[in-house]
Amino acid sequence: MGPKILTVDDSKTIRMIVARAFKPFACEILEAADGVEGLSIIKREKPDIIILDFTMPVMDGAEMLTKLKSEPEFRNIPVVMLTAESGRENVLRIAKLGVRDYLIKPFKEEIIIERVGRIIDLKAKNEAVHKAKRYDDPLHILVVDDKPVILEQVEAGFADTRWSVQGLAQAGQAVDHCSQRLPDVILVSLSLPESAGFMLFQMFRASIKTKSIPILALSVKTATDEQMRAQQLGFTGIVTKPIDIEDLKTKITRALNLDTSYKYFQRQDNMLVLRLPANFGPSVANDVSANLRSKVCEAVDAGLSRLVVDLSQVKAADVTLIKLGLSTIQLCQELDVHFVLIGSEAVCRECKNYEETKDWQFVGSFDEALENLNGKPLAPA
Amino acid sequence: MFQDIDDLVHLAVTEVFGTMLNMTLSRGAMADGDHRNGKPHVAGSVGFIGKLAGVVYIHVPEPFARQITAQLLGLTEAEIQGHEMVNDAMGEMANMVVGHLKSRFSDRGSPCVLTIPSVVRGCNFCIEAVSSTEGRLYAYDCDQRRIIVELLFKTNSSH
Repeated sequence: MGPKILTVDDSKTIRMIVARAFKPFACEILEAADGVEGLSIIKREKPDIIILDFTMPVMDGAEMLTKLKSEPEFRNIPVVMLTAESGRENVLRIAKLGVRDYLIKPFKEEIIIERVGRIIDLKAKNEAVHKAKRYDDPLHILVVDDKPVILEQVEAGFADTRWSVQGLAQAGQAVDHCSQRLPDVILVSLSLPESAGFMLFQMFRASIKTKSIPILALSVKTATDEQMRAQQLGFTGIVTKPIDIEDLKTKITRALNLDTSYKYFQRQDNMLVLRLPANFGPSVANDVSANLRSKVCEAVDAGLSRLVVDLSQVKAADVTLIKLGLSTIQLCQELDVHFVLIGSEAVCRECKNYEETKDWQFVGSFDEALENLNGKPLAPA
Repeated sequence: MFQDIDDLVHLAVTEVFGTMLNMTLSRGAMADGDHRNGKPHVAGSVGFIGKLAGVVYIHVPEPFARQITAQLLGLTEAEIQGHEMVNDAMGEMANMVVGHLKSRFSDRGSPCVLTIPSVVRGCNFCIEAVSSTEGRLYAYDCDQRRIIVELLFKTNSSH
């Protein structure tokens, strides 16, 4: 459900305005009409943040705050004061009580969202239930770098994807761009003049709209100091220059948790096919392993219990391949799934040399695999 | 000390209506029967007690009060049921205006406390102050709708 926000205000109007402000976010709104009711809800629900009015009947905001701060279990719950009283003396008095922020009525909804969003992690409702994007979905990548060649390299590198690249040279342009269109990922050069890359990162992280967008730092390989600073600040990752496009794609895939399983798992002729590509390596193995159990279980759930593991494009049987093969076979046995291996000549030959794989039986083609599995039942007994 | 009280009221009213309702108010001239025209109207009020004591009423025609409530709460007018929501919204508008005034009084060394909001409804009523109380009326217009703000106040020597 997301964080719990407690609004304590004797005005139902204000409580309704606060509830409406946070409606687009995945959070739970709790309401109390005075300090006594507020404390009771705090004990029961332990909210993540409290938006507290000052002047209320029964128990006012100051008294409630004092009581809250005396309870060790609840004293660290952040409190944002929302009050019509903006006089200097009042502000100072309230600040001394230990509030995290102070908002004056009248207020704009955007302001309350912004301030609360600085304290707790607010996620848009559609973001919270959003289905993971696929690697082949359109993505919008913002690159902030004053070197035109870098922008060209990234653009050219993504030509085989559906990812669009917007290159901008200045931090200010990036802020303007994000106010119009939010990118899926932002790449920021750390070598922008006057540490603008770091300042831009902090601005994006301070804004509720951009705080969840992955931001990768672009940095020259040897500039370890700025890379360390970026890591300390919390950049999502570092991409070193010269840019290795495959590495950049992998980092974006991980940062966005893109679904890549469709590249390896397909359904064909009432079977699940796991097809490993020619460039099989640790990164592909990780992608496959991450999806293996869910994909096979999904197929079994849909009534399919036959798996073809196609290694015909793989050039060699190394430890990574063997480990993946063993875990696949073990999973098939566990789920009563019939499987057939298709191997390239090299894989078939090399597998004979290892104790773990010497008994693996391969067929030479997809047709043979079909023939082999045709006698097997479609679904587990 | 409060020779500019008219300006303070103006600032408070325009800021509250501008921020909460996105309404741009312009000052208008008071006319006879502005809020005593026999038509239903609603007046949200909040008092303040301190060296300067008084009360502020915000009078609007009943249909306009419903529009204000709907806009404030992000609802349609059809969703405004009964008087309670309108009363609470009009009381809160008055509370914000007087809260604004209170802060300015406090900054000038005249702290005060606010009363809880209340609402008066009726068709043909006027607020009469006792002697020694000063009264001011301010008229505002917004898209041909009229808002009357009434301030009654006196200096309290015991504070």
